Amino acid sequence: MNFASMTPVAIFTLLNVAMALGLYITALSGQLSMATAAIAGVGGYLAAVLTVKFGWPLLPAVCLAAIAGGLVGATLALITLKMRDFILKLTTLAFGEALSVLAFNWDYIGGANSFTGIGLKTNVWTAAAAALIAFYVAWRFDGSRLGFACRAVRDDPLAASAMGVSIAATRTVSFALGGALVGQAGAIQAHYVLVVSPHDLGFFVSLNFIIFLLFGGLQTLWGPILGAALLTILPEALRFTNEYRLILYGLIIVLVVLRRPEGLLTRMPLGSELKVLGFTLRPARPLADTPADRRLRPLPTPLVQPAKIAAQ
Amino acid sequence: MELLLQQLANGLVIGSTYAVVAIGFALAFTVLRVINFAHPDIFMVGMFAGLVGAAQWPALGFAIAILAGALGACFVGFALERAVIAPLRGRDVLMTLIGTLGVAICLQNGMALIAGPDPVAYPALLPRQFVDIGPVALTLRQILNFGISLCLLILVSLYVRRTAFGRATRAIAERPDVAAAFGVNVARICRLTILLASSMAGIAAVSVGVLYGSASAFVGLLYGLKAFICMLVAGNRYFEGVMVVGLAIGVIEALVTGYLSSSLRDAAAFFVLIGVLYFRPNGLFGSYAA
Repeated sequence: MNFASMTPVAIFTLLNVAMALGLYITALSGQLSMATAAIAGVGGYLAAVLTVKFGWPLLPAVCLAAIAGGLVGATLALITLKMRDFILKLTTLAFGEALSVLAFNWDYIGGANSFTGIGLKTNVWTAAAAALIAFYVAWRFDGSRLGFACRAVRDDPLAASAMGVSIAATRTVSFALGGALVGQAGAIQAHYVLVVSPHDLGFFVSLNFIIFLLFGGLQTLWGPILGAALLTILPEALRFTNEYRLILYGLIIVLVVLRRPEGLLTRMPLGSELKVLGFTLRPARPLADTPADRRLRPLPTPLVQPAKIAAQ
Repeated sequence: MELLLQQLANGLVIGSTYAVVAIGFALAFTVLRVINFAHPDIFMVGMFAGLVGAAQWPALGFAIAILAGALGACFVGFALERAVIAPLRGRDVLMTLIGTLGVAICLQNGMALIAGPDPVAYPALLPRQFVDIGPVALTLRQILNFGISLCLLILVSLYVRRTAFGRATRAIAERPDVAAAFGVNVARICRLTILLASSMAGIAAVSVGVLYGSASAFVGLLYGLKAFICMLVAGNRYFEGVMVVGLAIGVIEALVTGYLSSSLRDAAAFFVLIGVLYFRPNGLFGSYAA
């Protein structure tokens, strides 16, 4: 494996990390958007049109793509503000598919033939810059007042609004910020792939990002990073297994979902203490009555089993 | 006028398959609260199992193909329920979605490894013969495909409405905890539901394979997305609603292909989805909450 074959993998890994962080910010307010690929596609199409048809340099085009992504995200948040959980996810799905259909039938941006002729303007460092910006924004947002407000809305909207947190404002901000990060990453990706096609906006592409998030774990900032990096590198690293690689990829996803349903990285993974060479890396933690802890230790069972009542 | 009738008939034939796959989605979602993304690939496995069955015992022809398809799909459905869906009961809907999606990736690529990535010729179990019904000309295979799908839909409707198991199924869909308190064996009904949905998909898959004369490892993608849309448009509260919407989407697609252009065919279903979700977010006939 030489360096030349590593470069595309590195670029896609960095861009996927950036998009996964964008989706993480969106998900922080409690709603998982299923239109990530569509927002990335909006950014990609816009930046590509600007650089190809108007001769803009990359940087302003990417900035404008980020703004457009943010606007699309905010619109999506405002549309779905009053909707219930499952319906919201379906609406974001339908929104993404609607954008895909729009791109399919709009001849100015290539229509069904995809938008081609984009100049190669992305290298590893551009992608690294996109990932770093995304990381910085997500990191600062994670610890900010607004970030905590988002988590409060996620955990209990009623209690949060009783404490004076505006659900509409936090949700719109988190969707817009996440959309902006996804938009800029999409714009940079378009200048590496050199083609933006309507199929890139569809549901199955968006699903990849949701898998990144749930695979890595939603509880910390590092979960999406790990998930995106692992799942982008994994199919390439498994390439030596030839035709078995996608089967292994599927199996690994199933195993992780079964063994660690909260994602690979959780905020406090174990109740036991972790020692290496006599140094306590992590002190023991008392177990609580949470789903994660119940798997570690059997909790006292109630005297009468509900299942037995049902059987009688 | 003749084009209209012909396209209506073609649409009903395609739509009946959508309806069967969509019912499988709806059964899994209402009873187990699972979006079973492996369901279209169970359909695909059924198609190949039917192919193998017909190749092994060519004398028995269509009957053995149907039986093999149902058994193959049933087996995969059973394994899926045991290995992935049951351990994840009570988790977030998205977790099981991703687990079943992983299984779907395995099934697709595993079958592509066994049978090759290109479509495989299906044994010609029925003659390619046209039958005129008034102004409409359908092939014998189309009529058979429609008949089998319609039978499956009627049977599942009778099962859900008229039998004790069906009553238990509806009770679980409404409130699993209350159903359990009234003596319904929830785990058993869940298993039975997955087996029912899988075997239906397997039987429909064999008739689709005979209809088009080919089987591909990636055929599930095509039917899966359309069937998923059918379930969302209809809502999952009434299975009969899902059937009607499946047939309707088939007809709409056929009309769009006939009168507008075939490139808009796939977009049509999405326009229907967006339009319906905008006015009735729970689907046309209402949905259970996730």
